[in-house]
Amino acid sequence: MLVATDVHRHFEGMHAVDGVSLEVPRGQITGLIGPNGAGKSTFMAVLAGTMPATKGTVVFDGRDVTRIPAYRRARMGLVRTFQLSSEFARLTVLENLLVAAPRHRGESLLGALLGPGYWLADERRIVGEARRLLKRFGMSAKESDYAGNMSGGQKRLIEIMRALMLHPRCLLLDEPMSGVHPRVADEIQGYLQDLRRDGLTILMVEHELHFVEQLCDSVFVMAQGKLIGSGTMATLRRQQEIVDAYLVG
Amino acid sequence: MNTYYAANLLIFAGVDIIACIALNLQFGVSGIVNFAFIVFQAAGAYTAAVLSMPPDTAADYSFQIYFGGFNLPFPIPWIGGAVAGALLAVPIGLIVLRNLRSDYQAIALLVTSIIANTVINNARPWLNGAAGLALVPRPLNPIEPVPDSYLYFYIGLTAVCVALVWFIAARIVNSPFGRTLRAMRDQELAATALGKNPVALKMTMFIVGGAIAGLSGAILVGFLTFWAPSTWLYPETVILFAAVIVGGRGNNLGAVLGALLVPVGLEEVTRLLNNYVNIGPPNFIPAMEWVLIGLFILGFLWFRPEGVRPEGHKVFPEGFESGVRVLGDRD
Amino acid sequence: MSILVAAFGFGLVSASVIALAAVGFTMQFGITNMINLAYGEVMIASAYVAYYVDQRGVSIWIAMLIGAAFGAVFSFLINRLIYAPFQRKGTSLLGMVIVSLAVSLMIANIMLPIVGYFPVSYNERFSTLLRFGAIALTVNQIAIFALAGAIMVAIHALLRYTRLGKAMRATAANPTLARNCGIPTQRVIDAVWLITGALCGLAGVVAALDSDSFTISSGAGFLITALAAAVLGGAGQPYGAMIGAVVIGLITEMSAAVWSPDYKQVVAFAILVVVMVLRPQGLLAKRGAAAAAG
Repeated sequence: MLVATDVHRHFEGMHAVDGVSLEVPRGQITGLIGPNGAGKSTFMAVLAGTMPATKGTVVFDGRDVTRIPAYRRARMGLVRTFQLSSEFARLTVLENLLVAAPRHRGESLLGALLGPGYWLADERRIVGEARRLLKRFGMSAKESDYAGNMSGGQKRLIEIMRALMLHPRCLLLDEPMSGVHPRVADEIQGYLQDLRRDGLTILMVEHELHFVEQLCDSVFVMAQGKLIGSGTMATLRRQQEIVDAYLVG
Repeated sequence: MNTYYAANLLIFAGVDIIACIALNLQFGVSGIVNFAFIVFQAAGAYTAAVLSMPPDTAADYSFQIYFGGFNLPFPIPWIGGAVAGALLAVPIGLIVLRNLRSDYQAIALLVTSIIANTVINNARPWLNGAAGLALVPRPLNPIEPVPDSYLYFYIGLTAVCVALVWFIAARIVNSPFGRTLRAMRDQELAATALGKNPVALKMTMFIVGGAIAGLSGAILVGFLTFWAPSTWLYPETVILFAAVIVGGRGNNLGAVLGALLVPVGLEEVTRLLNNYVNIGPPNFIPAMEWVLIGLFILGFLWFRPEGVRPEGHKVFPEGFESGVRVLGDRD
Repeated sequence: MSILVAAFGFGLVSASVIALAAVGFTMQFGITNMINLAYGEVMIASAYVAYYVDQRGVSIWIAMLIGAAFGAVFSFLINRLIYAPFQRKGTSLLGMVIVSLAVSLMIANIMLPIVGYFPVSYNERFSTLLRFGAIALTVNQIAIFALAGAIMVAIHALLRYTRLGKAMRATAANPTLARNCGIPTQRVIDAVWLITGALCGLAGVVAALDSDSFTISSGAGFLITALAAAVLGGAGQPYGAMIGAVVIGLITEMSAAVWSPDYKQVVAFAILVVVMVLRPQGLLAKRGAAAAAG
């Protein structure tokens, strides 16, 4: 589904990502783990296009997207979430989801000027879709609250739901469980498993290794900008270098 | 109260309201800190002037040197002004709206404003340099001195423009497009990751705002019949920013309130003061006006950064359910 | 040809004046993240203070020192009383730019009724003309050039070899890390405002001395040239500001000799526009100018 080949990302003389090649298989949840500063988030950013690669290629569903900007990759179905909360704080929860909806007639200048008569039908459609998502993730009650007022776990859910509004084919999740109440984290785990069942491909950066163990079909390990291992959590645990990297890094 | 004074007040108010709505669209809604805003108004004014004036070889106009002079009748000069504002937005936007840190962007635009003013000021053959353009014909070429009826007509014309601009801005703000703009303003990177093209969005609003600013310039020059570099120094942009911030950014009503409070309100207060009170050396009051504006800005940024009328809470789904026109709360 | 050589001489003087202002401005930005648009007004205020001292018969060089001291204290107070509180409150970078614009307007307009509208000049503005081949400069101009050169060396020494200088560079690069390493960032910042304020004041007096006359409105022009040089060299980079000052000083003077003096400022800005298009982060900037990516 998603193939990275020899990806490098240098800035200010630092090699944040130093020649990483990996392949994210279709329809599975793949984990990306490693100590702090390993370059995982930077790598995710390069995959998503929010940061350009200094060298290397990224191929998404057979198409070379290395030179394609992030917003176009998102429209193609490659969507990322962020490690730090990036909900639209001054919009309501519902509006956060509505913004994400693609191909809305009201979303161009011309559409806006033509008025609700032109775009109301599309609006109704996506409101319905957004409400269904809110219901599925248990946040219907919060739809009119400002997203900025939500708790950490709720913001994480908003980010995931927002990404889902784009009907992605591959989801890049950057630490979806970080800062989240354990009970909510379990719920998120359930949702992710549901999504996998629906055929979504997921690449997940995560620190909580027990989640990685339960969720991920396979795992890649990064340290200091390089890929130092891959496989299932079980096989990785047996490799001394991996364990060392985690203890040292 | 004589008619000319009332006309002056109302027309300036109208022009300021139009300008604030445009700046609010760019800054309050889309997050573009357009510190070169006044240049767009100036472009509209100069264009309208040059389109409506006869060539500088004509009898009464030969003391000025300027390019153009097409003697076109109303409303072409006003449309030209708006178009000029829109066209100017393209090169400036292409240079500045790229991936620059937002305060760099702001400074680049500020410097652009100063460059433009200096160039026009010094380049006499273009737009008559520092002296500026005078004897700009009024729309529909009335006989001077203009009768009261013409002033009423002009006030009405301004009001129509205000209504038109309000309508356009309301349509933009209260739409999914406006929602996307606000999202981009709040979290540009997240918006990008959701498929929105920030450069295209910002460029669009830069052009729209530029066109509206250009129109405001055309209206003003048609009334003043005069326009010079001293009319559009960079602090004018600051006043408009103060207005938008004080009124409450992100919503049109806030822009109107800000326009009435800051440029109109403060200037009127100081004008009245100047007439009735005689404190200190001459020009003391206008100088104090600027100090007041500065204090006003600081005060609002400190105590109420969200402005007099902050961005409203959305009524969206309820209004939508009952079939009532949605997003009314945003006005 | 000799016109160009003469213009080169003027360019060096011009560069000296600009460099003093630009280095101070860019250090304020680099270390405290403050785009201080009130800088030009502090310059002109210091110039006026020096003027009043000069009118009382004090030597211009003493007046310069007094102007620098005034600039230091004034800038320090502006930061302590206005900028720092707003920054602590969490005002955005753009909000701070607007704050500084408001402050600049207030300073200019409070000064206006006090100093009046009419241009003033220093008593010593005329001095003996010396010739070195095709270059003809007055004693004042040579002194300005020497002074600026000495100050640039002093700044270099400060940044490279003193503890304060190293603390400044650390704070500029990463304030949080600097604080965690035990650097007293509050005191460093105070020192920065005092030092750059002194530069600002000195630059104001020097710029005023180098002009025929000056008024309040000259402040905006001073700010703009300093801003241009700083942005050209890469905001926050003192050496970049020096280079920017030399570029702008030389090119404006030499093009004025070739074309017309009226367009001096225009040429300076044209340079700036070209740089902004081709390399918006400036000549020496390494980072910070581009928007943060994911």
